[in-house]
Amino acid sequence: MSLVIADVTKRFRDVKAVDQLSFTVREGALFGFLGPNGAGKTTTMRVILGIIKSDEGTVTWKGKDFGRWGTGFYGYLPEERGLYPKMRVAEHLEFLGRIHGLDKQKARRETSRWLERFELGDLGSKRVEELSKGNQQKVQVIGTMLHDPELIILDEPFSGLDPVNSALLKDVLLEAHDRGKTVIFSSHRMDQVEEICQDIALINRGRLLLYGNLKQIKKSMGRQILRLSLEGNTDFWARIPGLHLLQERADYLEFRLDEGVDANRVLAEAMEAGQVIRFELVEPSLDQIFVEKVGEGA
Amino acid sequence: MIPVLVKREFTTRVKGTAYILTTVVGVLVFIGLSFLPPIMERLSSSIAPKHIELVVLDQGIESSHLPFLLQLSQEREDLTIRDASGLDERAAYAMVLDENLSGLLLIDGPLCTLVTPDSKNVVLNEEIENVVNQAATLWRATQLGLTQDEMQSLFHAVDFRIREVAPEQEDGREVDQVAQTQAMVLAYFLLFMIYMALILYGNMVASGVAEEKSSRIMEVMVSTVKPVELMFGKIIGVGALGLLQFFVWISTGLVMTFLGRTSFLGGLLGVAEPLRAVPLGGILWFGLYFLLGYFFYASIFAAAGALVSRVEEVSQVVSLLMMFIMVGFFGAYFSFLNPNSSFAVTTSLIPFTAPMVMFARIMLADPPLVQVAASVVIMLLAIAVGTWLSSKIYRIGILLYGKRPSLGQVARFLKG
Repeated sequence: MSLVIADVTKRFRDVKAVDQLSFTVREGALFGFLGPNGAGKTTTMRVILGIIKSDEGTVTWKGKDFGRWGTGFYGYLPEERGLYPKMRVAEHLEFLGRIHGLDKQKARRETSRWLERFELGDLGSKRVEELSKGNQQKVQVIGTMLHDPELIILDEPFSGLDPVNSALLKDVLLEAHDRGKTVIFSSHRMDQVEEICQDIALINRGRLLLYGNLKQIKKSMGRQILRLSLEGNTDFWARIPGLHLLQERADYLEFRLDEGVDANRVLAEAMEAGQVIRFELVEPSLDQIFVEKVGEGA
Repeated sequence: MIPVLVKREFTTRVKGTAYILTTVVGVLVFIGLSFLPPIMERLSSSIAPKHIELVVLDQGIESSHLPFLLQLSQEREDLTIRDASGLDERAAYAMVLDENLSGLLLIDGPLCTLVTPDSKNVVLNEEIENVVNQAATLWRATQLGLTQDEMQSLFHAVDFRIREVAPEQEDGREVDQVAQTQAMVLAYFLLFMIYMALILYGNMVASGVAEEKSSRIMEVMVSTVKPVELMFGKIIGVGALGLLQFFVWISTGLVMTFLGRTSFLGGLLGVAEPLRAVPLGGILWFGLYFLLGYFFYASIFAAAGALVSRVEEVSQVVSLLMMFIMVGFFGAYFSFLNPNSSFAVTTSLIPFTAPMVMFARIMLADPPLVQVAASVVIMLLAIAVGTWLSSKIYRIGILLYGKRPSLGQVARFLKG
């Protein structure tokens, strides 16, 4: 009972935008879909939704071909935002609700409910073109969720939103998740993905680099990050094999520990070198995993 | 799904300034046309010379036109002839200038020369030429020794009628010349309307598609609605707008026709007789061929609009289509001269020109029913094939941004 992407390949001329891509999004998951610019995220989403046809592979939802479910069960927010500029906001949302299969009354009711939820209640009679970019984006997010779809697919939903509205969107997504909806979104903001997603897929050049439960992925990276702050001689670390300086910050130094390096030995060496103020072992951040994995592939 | 799309297309456009403006301007033009004949009449009477006063100097050896000019001036109130015999040319012309007369006419046997300070006054000078010609006719008739009665019978117009008899008919009916002229004017007028409609609404479809692309709403739409549905929603919506506009315009025209003494159609060609009945048949044929032509062209316009990224580029891709429509229009125009020529028959069966040429033929002649049926069937088939091919281009085109695809690439869309 899930969204299954199996062996999907999409070529544009000679370039493989998506290359033998397979992953599964289980029902009810909040799924982060990651990758650098041009990795093939948007193309993958378009293939899932049937906007473009794949050259190979299949996409199924709950065991049945995706395209055979009709269109009412999902909501899609494309990366390129767009609305009819001349339409009035409420009118536009009702229209989007209608083409997703809502009847007239329901479309109207949901429109006003969602406009309230997104604090746009008094803008319903304005033309879309009169709204700020951020508000237009909120309207479009509403258009994606209005018909209460089971599956919500969002392409870079946080880009262009200020922190207040980002938090609002995050709440809305978490709420949908709590109600058992399946949410997939792409992002290049790793902190947001880390904050709300359990499962992720990371792709680059159309290929899957990492996929699975975020916690397990972090564990399976097989190494740890050390944050160290020290008063005294900080050059001691160069003597320890398997310790690599990642970044030098004003408040602490960050190292990567190779597998098998004994953290206690590092601590002992550090105490000898000076006064230890901070010694912290952390899991690698998604950001670091991202940079490392994408870097490896290059 | 399509009704929702049609409704959006229709309601958002029908409230738009551009649509309301063109409808109102159209109505004003129609009302204006019905006032055209009286206005024209007043205009022409203000230009026409009220009185002609000629100084005539006969320099010939024998007298020729002069006595007849004098005779005419007695018959006509608006003509005065002053015989300047005895004066020289200079003095005679001075008289014209001093008293602001119409001109000096020098006669030398059959040769007449008008001396005038204003050779550009075409209306006046033509009227003078007419007068001189009348005098010349009288002069020649006298030379031939014709009597007044003989003269009259010579210039009596023949009573000319036309009776149309179809090959399979025993006897035909006499053709009503006025009705015939009116049918012609009406046909020409409605033909022009079809031509306008195809260009106007075709362009509206193409720029509508380009608008959806440039505002980037397209991707949301095609993730929910099938591209073909989207295309038809737009085509039907714009078509409905067109029908509404024509309904308003034609109703205005008809109301003005029955209100006013002169018909608005008459205004176009100066036919003063009012329309005798509502040309219902013509309007229904107009509706049929407008729809056939519109659905055929609109899908191609939609595909053309899908090939560009911005509304400003639309005119570049639709120019070829406009050419086809123009060819159809001129084809129909030539068919007016002979509605049953092989040229007219052929072009009335080609989808690109049929909506206009066949319509013109139906309005003017009674083309064989087989041909009419064939043109309708051909149009329906062409619409099916056209929309099928267009939807293929449309489906791929709508997600393409940036450089406009070449003809070769478009051909590949059709294969894929």
